[in-house]
Amino acid sequence: MNTAPTFAVVGHPNKGKSSVVATLSQNDAIAIALEPGTTRTRQSYPLSVDGKILYTLVDTPGFQRPRRVLEWLEAHSISASDHSETVRAFVTQHKDDGRFTDECELLTPLLEGAGIIYVVDGSAPYNAQHEAEMTILRWTGQPSLALINSIGPDDYSDTWQAALGQFFQVVRKFDAVRAPFEQHLSLLRAFGQLEPDWEQSLGKATEHLSAQREQRRRQAAGIIAKALKTMMSFQEKRTLSLDQIAGTSDSTLADQLRQHWYQHQRKQEQSLRVDIEHLYQHNSIRRQEAELEWHSDHDLFSEDSRKHWAVSKRYLATAGFGAGAVGGAGLDALTLGTSLGTGALVGGLIGAAGSYFYSGRFMLPALNIGLLQDGLKTATFGPVQDSQFGYVVLGRAVDHWWHISHRNHAGRELLDLAPADHHWLERLDKKHRQVIQKTLDKCRKKQPVDEGQMQKFQAAIEQCMAIYDDWRLNRT
Amino acid sequence: MTDHALRLLLDFDACAQRDKGQAAAFLHRRDRKFALTCEQQGITPGPERWMAQMNHLSGPGAGTSSAEKTLRFWHRINSGFVAAGTVFGVLTMLGLLFYDGGQRINVTVIVAFVGFQLLLALLTTVQSLVGWQPWRGLLRRVGSNGGPDISGRLQPVLMARAAQVGGLCFAITGLITLLVMVVLQDLAFGWSTTLDTDASSYHRLVTAIASPWAWLWPAAAPDFVLVEATRFFRASAGQNGMNPARWGQWWPFVAMLWTTWALLPRLVLSLLAGVLIRRKAAHLLAGHPALRALMYRMETPALDTGNEHNDAADLPDTKTSLSLQPLPNARIVLRWAGAGDPELPDIISTGKNLITKAGGGMTLTDDRQTLNEIATQLAQESCLCVLLFTRSWEPPTGELDDFLTSARELWPKGTHVALVPLANRVEQAPDAHLVQQWLRFAARVGPEFVTVSLLPDYDAVSDTGRGVVE
Repeated sequence: MNTAPTFAVVGHPNKGKSSVVATLSQNDAIAIALEPGTTRTRQSYPLSVDGKILYTLVDTPGFQRPRRVLEWLEAHSISASDHSETVRAFVTQHKDDGRFTDECELLTPLLEGAGIIYVVDGSAPYNAQHEAEMTILRWTGQPSLALINSIGPDDYSDTWQAALGQFFQVVRKFDAVRAPFEQHLSLLRAFGQLEPDWEQSLGKATEHLSAQREQRRRQAAGIIAKALKTMMSFQEKRTLSLDQIAGTSDSTLADQLRQHWYQHQRKQEQSLRVDIEHLYQHNSIRRQEAELEWHSDHDLFSEDSRKHWAVSKRYLATAGFGAGAVGGAGLDALTLGTSLGTGALVGGLIGAAGSYFYSGRFMLPALNIGLLQDGLKTATFGPVQDSQFGYVVLGRAVDHWWHISHRNHAGRELLDLAPADHHWLERLDKKHRQVIQKTLDKCRKKQPVDEGQMQKFQAAIEQCMAIYDDWRLNRT
Repeated sequence: MTDHALRLLLDFDACAQRDKGQAAAFLHRRDRKFALTCEQQGITPGPERWMAQMNHLSGPGAGTSSAEKTLRFWHRINSGFVAAGTVFGVLTMLGLLFYDGGQRINVTVIVAFVGFQLLLALLTTVQSLVGWQPWRGLLRRVGSNGGPDISGRLQPVLMARAAQVGGLCFAITGLITLLVMVVLQDLAFGWSTTLDTDASSYHRLVTAIASPWAWLWPAAAPDFVLVEATRFFRASAGQNGMNPARWGQWWPFVAMLWTTWALLPRLVLSLLAGVLIRRKAAHLLAGHPALRALMYRMETPALDTGNEHNDAADLPDTKTSLSLQPLPNARIVLRWAGAGDPELPDIISTGKNLITKAGGGMTLTDDRQTLNEIATQLAQESCLCVLLFTRSWEPPTGELDDFLTSARELWPKGTHVALVPLANRVEQAPDAHLVQQWLRFAARVGPEFVTVSLLPDYDAVSDTGRGVVE
């Protein structure tokens, strides 16, 4: 028999059952609150691949009257062999009894063959009160695993571990809000080990989840690459008639264009944020507050942003050398090599010098007011002529991606995007630096970026993400 | 056939643009399902089949309007070129064959004109291959954006086909006009040039030009005698002893010249333009970012982690009108579910007449005994009040509710219960959000029977909202 297993997540009220389910099912739309009775009915969360269910998690309400249930069970049982049947009889008899609605809701999936995932709060002291609940669960005869979640700052997990070990086959610690992804997978594998028949399904599920995570990283890099390209090459354009020209001074026009340009770029960046969040199935992040707070302190165009996210002059010079050398090498090719590589050298030096020179200032995009033509005048603002702009956007995007990819779906706190205090991008290897620089240069010059170049750009951004991840995880 | 590849690309592109607004999870499910259906049927899923499926599911009349619009736009351009080519072909040939009886029709001019036509035809093809668009500004005026999108990138090849088809019509109507004129009029051809050349050189040129058809139609390849005899000079008065019929013997050459070096190249290059459009469309489709994404979606299993359910808005009502009451000076203390374990501090236990336990690890029989014990004690007390200590972090459950319901029935009328939620460390105040759940519980049970109070602050640190000893 190889049916998809079901796991009922049960426990005392308000111990984080819904948080565990939200994290494992990657659903940030499950009601979670520091309030008993938030979950009132059981709810299934199946994980399926191509429509085939591999396992189902069932979120349940907490025990309300465990001692009364246990008293009833003990009064109606003769021996251990009838325990499971007695639990079934209890549910049958009390399914319409309002006092035992929660118990019936949580026991029903167990009677249908679900495995038990018993959740306790390891930040609160052990309570013998829970023993009645654990005894009832043992009566169902289902495979069981206890999870020590952690809601508060204190840690009583050792006492819990010792106590739970007497009632459950496996006891695991799992912080639903902070556990890293690898722990999610490890927990799912532990679920599979409760029954030999379940191992294969859970094994497959973890494989698919791992692959999905890898794919999401690639997709995120693609989304960032596309947004960077759009933002770097964006030009605000306005066509004015003779009347409009008469009523607007050049400086007013420039101000208006600049304002629109900034607004558009901010909108683009916000749209990038939403795309990345949706990719990771975070649909309910409270970003409004975070966005405002974040923008006031670390505005995309503020000097502060530049200080945190821009790259150093040295970085730009080396990236610029590579990008220039590529152009120069083209000259060598034209001369059939008779220039003996001087083209590459000269091109490289020019690229490096240009990058070094421009890196000192956060240059504004070029304002260009065209000549009168057919009674109309065209004014443009942008694209931004400073590639540092691209590095600022890239740095912020990678930082946001990292927070989102490491955020569990049980998390309900505000997304706090504090700026990095280290120029992590400087760890990027030369080849990828050059790809990024070359693409940013092409965008700001409004040159077409072909599909091949975009793929290289995406790969370079993926590399940036790996470096950032590494830096985040290993920083002291 | 050409339109098929083109339509597929444009339809696919339009579909990709529309899909941009769709959720990624939906797109993945949709395309993966299509791939799995294909797999079951033993067929390979590709963009063509996928597009057919999309169109099929959309039903009739749900065509891609932007693809249709682009095709219609180019159809109009093609028609314009065909019309212009047809008219100009007739007019040009009439112009070339203009003969007022006093002058010969100069074959050299026709040869030069055909050469020019050939050059134009070749240039059109070359510019489509290199993507040069000198007429881009003109197209923009008539509605084409010419941007970096798909229709903009197809513009050079589509424009080349329009030009080649126009040129082909030009050549066909030119040839028909020539033949009509040959039939209707007595055309006198000759050759003339200012250059110092003799008939033999000219004959070599003519032979070279006529080499493709000389074997097929010898009469259309003028011999040396004809060439020598039909040279004319504008300054010369007339032709000495020349048979007038000889002047007309050039027409087969002119007809074949036009057919072979103007019409046939245009025909071949028109067909080539079609091939180039097909190739370009296939190339653009193969390199389309949306196709890469589609193939990826079709190849990758659709993983649904069970995140459909949304009850985020369905949160319990956390408002309460109750507030904390001062801690009453009660002589009876009940510790619920291990609250205050292992021992209550002296400051709380001192002066109490009864300290007892219920809930938690106790049995329901123990609870009933405790209820009776308190009822007995209350009968002896002047203050009908019970302090009920609870663990603030363990939410109030149905068991406490049941206990209080029994207490209400059993204890003397007018008894009051003060719930005192304790923090993990009794000397500290419990968190505000934990106290809230006890206030809401008291409101549910009935504030005339149950209220909530907190222990006085041992450190005498003032804290708003906390109870004080009366």
